[in-house]
Amino acid sequence: NSSSQLSSLPLQILLYVNGVYYIFYFLATLAMMIYKSQVFSYPDDFLAPDLAVLFLMAVLEVPRLYLGFKGNLTEAEAVLGLSLGLTVGSVVLCVYLLLWQTYVLWADVLLNAVLLSAYGLESGLKVTAIAAFVS
Amino acid sequence: VARLCVCDLLVAQCDANCCCDPDCSAQDFSLFTTCSVPVVRGDSQLCSQKAAVYSLDVEANPPEMIFKLIDQVNPSIFCIHATNYKEALYLKSPEIPTAENFDQLLDKFGGATFSAQPDSWSLDTDAQNRPEANETSRYEYGVPVQTEDAFLRLPSPVVSSWCSDANPAGFLVNQATKCIRSVSVEKCDSIQALSMLFYINSSILASVFQVNITVQSIIVQSLDGMRTLLSSSEGLRLPMVLDELCINAVLGVNYHITHTDTGEIIEAAAAFVLGAISKEALTIEQSFEISFTQENTQPVPLSGNPGYVVGLPVRAGFQPQGYPFPAAFLSNKHSQLTILQSTSTQDCLAAPGARAPVLFGYNMISGCRLRITAAMKCQPLAQTLLDVLKGQSFPEYVASFGNSQAQDVLDWVPITQLHISEQMISHTLQSSCQIPVSLGIEVKWTKYGSLVNPQARIVNVTATITTTTLKQLPSGRERIIPITSSVVFTDISSPAEPSYKVWPTINIKLPFDFFYPFV
Repeated sequence: NSSSQLSSLPLQILLYVNGVYYIFYFLATLAMMIYKSQVFSYPDDFLAPDLAVLFLMAVLEVPRLYLGFKGNLTEAEAVLGLSLGLTVGSVVLCVYLLLWQTYVLWADVLLNAVLLSAYGLESGLKVTAIAAFVS
Repeated sequence: VARLCVCDLLVAQCDANCCCDPDCSAQDFSLFTTCSVPVVRGDSQLCSQKAAVYSLDVEANPPEMIFKLIDQVNPSIFCIHATNYKEALYLKSPEIPTAENFDQLLDKFGGATFSAQPDSWSLDTDAQNRPEANETSRYEYGVPVQTEDAFLRLPSPVVSSWCSDANPAGFLVNQATKCIRSVSVEKCDSIQALSMLFYINSSILASVFQVNITVQSIIVQSLDGMRTLLSSSEGLRLPMVLDELCINAVLGVNYHITHTDTGEIIEAAAAFVLGAISKEALTIEQSFEISFTQENTQPVPLSGNPGYVVGLPVRAGFQPQGYPFPAAFLSNKHSQLTILQSTSTQDCLAAPGARAPVLFGYNMISGCRLRITAAMKCQPLAQTLLDVLKGQSFPEYVASFGNSQAQDVLDWVPITQLHISEQMISHTLQSSCQIPVSLGIEVKWTKYGSLVNPQARIVNVTATITTTTLKQLPSGRERIIPITSSVVFTDISSPAEPSYKVWPTINIKLPFDFFYPFV
């Protein structure tokens, strides 16, 4: 009976798919950075910030997804709100990797665009779910 | 990209087959065959870039040059979409040295090779020498012996026989060299290589202190070759011109370096041979030697281990008298088995006493000529000739193996002495004078040990003196007799018998009723 259940099913599915996709995204971006450092001239002081951003995003992703799952299932708006805040941080880092990396390959553009669209859709669904929980 | 033209080399003139040259007119294009530069573009790894394409249309009349500016697309998924790094695909322009970055640039690029880590390349020589001070104290085999200014020099002939002073002496490498140097008596005190100072003035670098080269002994050689050992209280003797002669010129240097067993040099001494150069001499021959000994040891050179090695001296010695039980032998350099050495003067009585050591395996023959006058007395002459042939201390025993120790009495072979008289038996008049005319040493040796690695072992040594009668000469006449001495090595080894065992045979005898029921 969907009227008594406030948890959002689309959000749950999206969070799950996001988790799986993120693992693929992390490995692919790391491999491409290694490829770029071998093929192109990639000095150390340009490589360090790019790698730092990638690892920071991975560190943020785990609590973000966990809080999202927990908030949606327990219908707790505070937890879901925290997850939304972490999503904003992840979006910023994703935009950095899309626009301000040292070398942006076409594959980078694709991966980051997909991730960005997933984040955007997730944020929308989270806002809807919070509105449903509060009211 | 449209303005770039790599083949436009001539200014204001049309280059042949260069389609992008702006100086070319339509008539010039009609003479071209192909375009040498068909495409001008940037790095092909970019996803999309502009490219200028030049081509010749040969079918049109007259042929035309077609220029197209197109967007070239790289279809690969790994094409570079954007870069935020200015020098991404370009060569880096080098830094302009200024007052601030000069030292850092000098560290990085100042050496013969560029290193990736500028910290390890310190051009500060003090800092470099001090941590390496521990390494210069320990020498390894072959490493040049370092002195204050450069290396310990051992002049030696390089390519030709002329002395080259740039040959360094290697640690633990015993060397002996001889070379020729051109001299002139007038300038002899200004030629550095003739003065003792040149060889001892720099001190050897070893551990934390420096080892000075001390003068061990000075031998002075006269013009006719006679050598005298000076007493050790003499100081440095520098060359100087005296009566058209140049005296105190260095004719030979013998370095003795003492080291510890860890490779540190603790002592260095040089023994000099100084001589005189006459006015007519344009060149002199200098000989140099360096030898290394470990401290507190007295090396005894072996002539083989255990069998004799061809070319090494035969070891000989004396047995101290009066010992009924086996005793040690005295064996040192002075009691070597030696043979008379032929000299240029060939006069037996004027021989300078130089003797050559008998080397194992080398048959030698040498001699001199004796001029007999009427005034010579027989007995002193016979004794002198015996000394000339046998030398001052003719040994009594010869070592059987190359490494025979002095304590093992059984390893030493006694020298058998034989006397043969040349006269016929019927003429033996013992009262008449007999003088020795030849000495023949025959060394019989055999192969000893295993078949694949036979060792040489001396079995028997016989020294035969042949004497002849000296007939009295009428006064005023003189005779010349040849005196010879020889060493012959004979191999008396018996043919080897290989001692391989016979293959075992199987002796099986069946009992005669083995096949009982059938046979």
